[in-house]
Amino acid sequence: MSAESLEAALRAEGIDCVVEERERLAVIVPGPRGLDLSSVELRRRALALLPAHGFTHLALELLPPPPERAAGTDSAAERGAPLPRP
Amino acid sequence: MSHAALTDIADDLLDAALEKERRLMDWFRARGSALVGFSGGVDSAYLACAAVEALGGDRVLAVIGRSASYPAEQWARAREVADAFGVPVLEVDTDELNDPRYAANPTNRCYFCKTELWSVLAPIAAERGLAVVVDGTNADDLGDYRPGARAAKEREVASPLAELGFTKDDVRRLSRARGIPTWSQPSSPCLSSRIPYGTSVTADRLREIEAAERAVRALGVRGDLRVRHHGPLARVELGEAELEAWLAPARQEALRDAVTSAGFTRVALDLRGFRSGSLNVLGGVAAAAEGTA
Repeated sequence: MSAESLEAALRAEGIDCVVEERERLAVIVPGPRGLDLSSVELRRRALALLPAHGFTHLALELLPPPPERAAGTDSAAERGAPLPRP
Repeated sequence: MSHAALTDIADDLLDAALEKERRLMDWFRARGSALVGFSGGVDSAYLACAAVEALGGDRVLAVIGRSASYPAEQWARAREVADAFGVPVLEVDTDELNDPRYAANPTNRCYFCKTELWSVLAPIAAERGLAVVVDGTNADDLGDYRPGARAAKEREVASPLAELGFTKDDVRRLSRARGIPTWSQPSSPCLSSRIPYGTSVTADRLREIEAAERAVRALGVRGDLRVRHHGPLARVELGEAELEAWLAPARQEALRDAVTSAGFTRVALDLRGFRSGSLNVLGGVAAAAEGTA
């Protein structure tokens, strides 16, 4: 399982994010500009990447609006800290 | 395909289901009386109504086992069906959370829950002279990973719907024909099924999950919904049409606020959407073995 390699693959699909690994769940933490994954085709492509990187589930973190983010959340990306890697 | 052809197919399917229903009525009459394990889900609601029709209300008792893992919304639905269809109901408390084997949340957690449930219900049947204890397992369930089925078998609980070949579609079709409101209700396994195997089941976690799902429903979300508990992170699974709608950036904030109001600090929307048995896949539990969620 590799969050880093999945992250790179997602970026190659135009999905700008950080991937957080929770066992076989990959959580997409959007970059500062947010992410629009409402396209079925884009989601299909993203989901198709999972097995090659050892994941079974993919979820998009819903971040609070910017003012609340500045106040701090539990999200690693929001904390500006490196995400945990195995 | 023409409308007339589709109508013919629908009529044929209903006829086939009605034939199964006739056999179900015979099955109940051959036994004379029954205690129905009654959750208010699609299957047990239909089964309880069918039992009352076959045997009469004085020879049927539907028993609701209430516990922390049983959603209040489902309890309300069970009472609604019982009231509308003249199903006699007894409510009892079960306490599976007090069993450390259950609370540890192993992959066979359902076995310990059902062991507790049937160990409470079987003596009630004996005391009241009811001939058989039945549950709502249907034929489709037989291919799933369902450790609870073993507990039922150990206590000689019968599953007439499965035995007579009723599929979930049959149950929905017949429920609709009878006007039972659960006919279109999504499947509704217990709240513990939202907690990954190996993460302990606690009353606090169950309360968070139930509150989050209630808050999401209050936004107008219909159909399948699961809030999966990953510690401070809630992973929300929605049916396909709802997923599409709630991925729109403008709507995400409302969904997030609803879930965080229940105590979660982070919210993620599953991009595949609702999957029965999602945590079985995540936990690496073999498919087609025993309790999907």
